[in-house]
Amino acid sequence: MGADVSAPDSGGHKKGPGVKKQTRKDTKVDMTPMVDLGFLLITFFVFTTTMSTPKAFKLNVPDDSAKDEEKSEAKASGAFTVLLSKENHVYYYEGQLAPDGSNFKSSNFKDIRAEILRKKANTPEKDLVVIIKPNESAVYKNVVDMLDEMQIAEIKRYAVVDIFPGEVDLINATEGGAPPPGGK
Amino acid sequence: MPKLKIARKSTWVDMTAFVDVAFLILSFFMLATKFKPPEVVKIENPKSVSSENQPEKDVFKVSFDKEGRVFVSFSSDQDGKEKAQLTAEVLSRQKGLGLTPAEISNFIKFSVGGIGVPVTQLKSFLNLTDDQYKSFKQPGIPVQDTLNNQLNDYLNALLTGTGGRKPENVMLNGDNGTTYPYFKNVLAAFKKNGIFSFKLITSLEGVPAGTPLYKKRKEQQTK
Repeated sequence: MGADVSAPDSGGHKKGPGVKKQTRKDTKVDMTPMVDLGFLLITFFVFTTTMSTPKAFKLNVPDDSAKDEEKSEAKASGAFTVLLSKENHVYYYEGQLAPDGSNFKSSNFKDIRAEILRKKANTPEKDLVVIIKPNESAVYKNVVDMLDEMQIAEIKRYAVVDIFPGEVDLINATEGGAPPPGGK
Repeated sequence: MPKLKIARKSTWVDMTAFVDVAFLILSFFMLATKFKPPEVVKIENPKSVSSENQPEKDVFKVSFDKEGRVFVSFSSDQDGKEKAQLTAEVLSRQKGLGLTPAEISNFIKFSVGGIGVPVTQLKSFLNLTDDQYKSFKQPGIPVQDTLNNQLNDYLNALLTGTGGRKPENVMLNGDNGTTYPYFKNVLAAFKKNGIFSFKLITSLEGVPAGTPLYKKRKEQQTK
């Protein structure tokens, strides 16, 4: 092994002829196994660690058993209904759904934010209510994303409500699928 | 021709600095690490802008995975254990399961990782050993139809056991891909037992620029 920066030679002075000259020993230690071990442990910790700590998203749901009079009546003009369907499809309409479905529009998760913000800007705050209606094939992610949109847009009043059969039919018609057998 | 003499160079590399770095990173990970809690179900949480950290004390958690299997779990601290025990005792009494003390202590142990079996299978499930528990594929608590929503039974047992005192943190841990009806049924069971306020477990996502929430948070920061 190469360079000889070794221990200071303690026996610096000349010894007698009978005394063996002390061999200089290299104090260099081969660090390679130590590095190996170090990185092995690092890998272990990297794999077992959870870096992103989960967050808590508060959700309050209304009491369904509350009497009807106690329920806050939503003004139709301030309502904005978002329908969620399979494969992240989003549909919406404002106010009440027209019988011919003319105000029923298709959208997606990117564009719906602009629509919600537009509605928020055009509606008095006390009237605004966003109604989220996921259908049977909407996934949990869609619902949470939509609830998240409510936080992002700072909508004070919103509700997750069961979808109506008429709306299911409209979604099916738009998606080109046949209505489910014995539709719910 | 004079032969060119190539100086022999040592191949020795000083590893000390390397070791220093390695152990620095190592100590960082050791201090920053928090071991993944033992969970029998793999769940991918959706994202949200919520920045509140997930509580760890006195937690009652309902999880559902992609296939719609529903699990209940309690935190491993004293409050959680107490509530798990009460739940098991009441459930045993209400449903006539006749759980032995050993089975109840197993309930407490398994409830940290998650329990997802119908009430009728609970007794045989609680006789599993730790290893069997890990490999056992639990069918999930049935929630599909409103008549046989057994999550209701679990919740009812919990609240009866505590005398109506709700756990401080009721968490809902759902998978991205679960279809809405399962979520609805879990909510229905919560509502039926008078739990109207709970927390969804999500992972952090940045607030999109230009939105009202973004502006509000920015104002708060500058204040």
